[in-house]
Amino acid sequence: MNRITPLSIFLLALAAALPFAIGHSQGPTQQVAVLRLKVKLKANDSATLKGLPRKRFFLINGSLEQNRTLIEAIERQPLTTRDCYYQRNGASPALIGWLKDGDCESIYCRAVEQEFVSGPKAVPEFATAFGASEKEFGNAATALKWLTTNVPPNLRDGFYRERKSVLDALLKQAQTSSGAPIQSVMTDRNGTAFFTGLGVGTYVVSNLVPAELGQTLATWNCEVQIKPDDLATEKPFLISNRKDKPVKCVAVEKPLPTCQ
Amino acid sequence: MTLVLLPVKSILLSVFICVCLWPVYGALDYTKFSHSTPKHKSACNTCHKIPTNNWTKVSAFPDVTDFPDHDACASCHRPQFFKGARPPICSVCHSKTSPKDDARYEFRKPASTEQFTIEFPHDRHQDVIALKSLKSSSNAVLLAHAAPPQQNFNNCTICHSQAATFSKPPAGGWIDSYIPPDATFKAAPVDHSSCFNCHWKSQEPVAANCNGCHKLATTPYLSLNIPTRISLKFQHEGGGEKKQHVAECTSCHINITKSATLRGLKPDVPITACTECHNKDGLRQDLNKELNALDKNRAFVCTYCHTSNVGSLDAPASHYLIAQRPSRKRSDLK
Repeated sequence: MNRITPLSIFLLALAAALPFAIGHSQGPTQQVAVLRLKVKLKANDSATLKGLPRKRFFLINGSLEQNRTLIEAIERQPLTTRDCYYQRNGASPALIGWLKDGDCESIYCRAVEQEFVSGPKAVPEFATAFGASEKEFGNAATALKWLTTNVPPNLRDGFYRERKSVLDALLKQAQTSSGAPIQSVMTDRNGTAFFTGLGVGTYVVSNLVPAELGQTLATWNCEVQIKPDDLATEKPFLISNRKDKPVKCVAVEKPLPTCQ
Repeated sequence: MTLVLLPVKSILLSVFICVCLWPVYGALDYTKFSHSTPKHKSACNTCHKIPTNNWTKVSAFPDVTDFPDHDACASCHRPQFFKGARPPICSVCHSKTSPKDDARYEFRKPASTEQFTIEFPHDRHQDVIALKSLKSSSNAVLLAHAAPPQQNFNNCTICHSQAATFSKPPAGGWIDSYIPPDATFKAAPVDHSSCFNCHWKSQEPVAANCNGCHKLATTPYLSLNIPTRISLKFQHEGGGEKKQHVAECTSCHINITKSATLRGLKPDVPITACTECHNKDGLRQDLNKELNALDKNRAFVCTYCHTSNVGSLDAPASHYLIAQRPSRKRSDLK
């Protein structure tokens, strides 16, 4: 009937050994620890630290030294700033102003109000899209709510896609060099984020793509040790743009590049 | 010999076909439509028109608001369409199976099982709406949330507003007769209104690409009318009279920003999200009070956050850890 063959024994043994093999190749086996990341910024040396909200950070297996090639690639990457991207793609000054007003990097960041569709504050791209939407959907309310569907793709989410392609290339490299999946989290409004289910070991916390901080671009590549008792999440790993007593890692800042 | 056996073989073959293949081909239940039937797996727009012709009458936005036309079914099922006075196949869409009555169920058919799961990458959507620079002003670093309050920034609430009242209790009734107040739950999208406003025609997955978001489930399932909760007494819009539950969603739902799919998604709220206020010296000692009560009486039920189905279990190690006590089981207590 159901005969036990040498092949089935081998497959069974292979299946049983697989988790150990994977665990070994990825380093830590106990996925239990938590890293509470806190990103805080200072406007100047005398100012107080304030949380950096809504920025994505990544956790890469291995030390800075082990990820040296990746860190070099992060530092070398050419990056287009928001203003340069939109200028290069022919955005009107009014649209660039609208994005700046809300500190937005894309038009999805906040709702487009009626005053930006017609009248003195009108943004030409929104006015055109609204006209097309009104024709398509037959009512002004839907046209306003669905306005982004008629904005040209390069101005709609082109900046996000351009950043994402840079990010995807770096993530691929990070995954290859570290031999493990990369975790990512976004900071909340207090600049806090949690990396969970971590194994004990050495990691690099990085934002991979620099954050625009006023007139500078800031990149964090910070080595962190995860220990077995990093559970209660009461000890945050604080990183900042300036040195301070509790700060564990400081960003490397570069001036914003000039638009080509 | 051969001549004698041939009819026997034919009879056996016929019996085999009848017995084994009848349930598959002969006894199909045409009152039930399944998207997992191989011949129903062609492109969605083979049957569904997007938007449907009636959308202006029943919806504020272009949407799929009706069943497919007869052509979608009749192209293969003509024989079933004309089977008797009340063809069973009609009852897939029609509430009355009569050629003289075209009354249909409300779309999509109420109380029917779900055949698709939703694929939604929270991480990507959060990246797109969250992308914000830090404003430059006299070389000062201003924080993104310091933006003028009149601006209507997009965040989780564009999909998760406060939920409407739950009119029906869950199957099995309300535990401890505790009816969660309106402020308890956040809503989740139930239609295309918060999808199509961006994904209508050029932002993939576009409206016509149903499969971009809807994945065929392994087995049909009944959707829950109320979210599963460990701490049923927590109110999203709560926090006492001062409504102090004001934290950003991601401050408590710590894993949501890395979630690329809804599959296996859990609320993931650590106890620290609660104890930063609810177990803090000089503020409140809600966790400690209940752990103290449990120390004195192992039958004690924790009710500050939980209903008795959860509150009568062993307190998890995380609760003891955050209260800086050694972890204990009820069986070890008095």
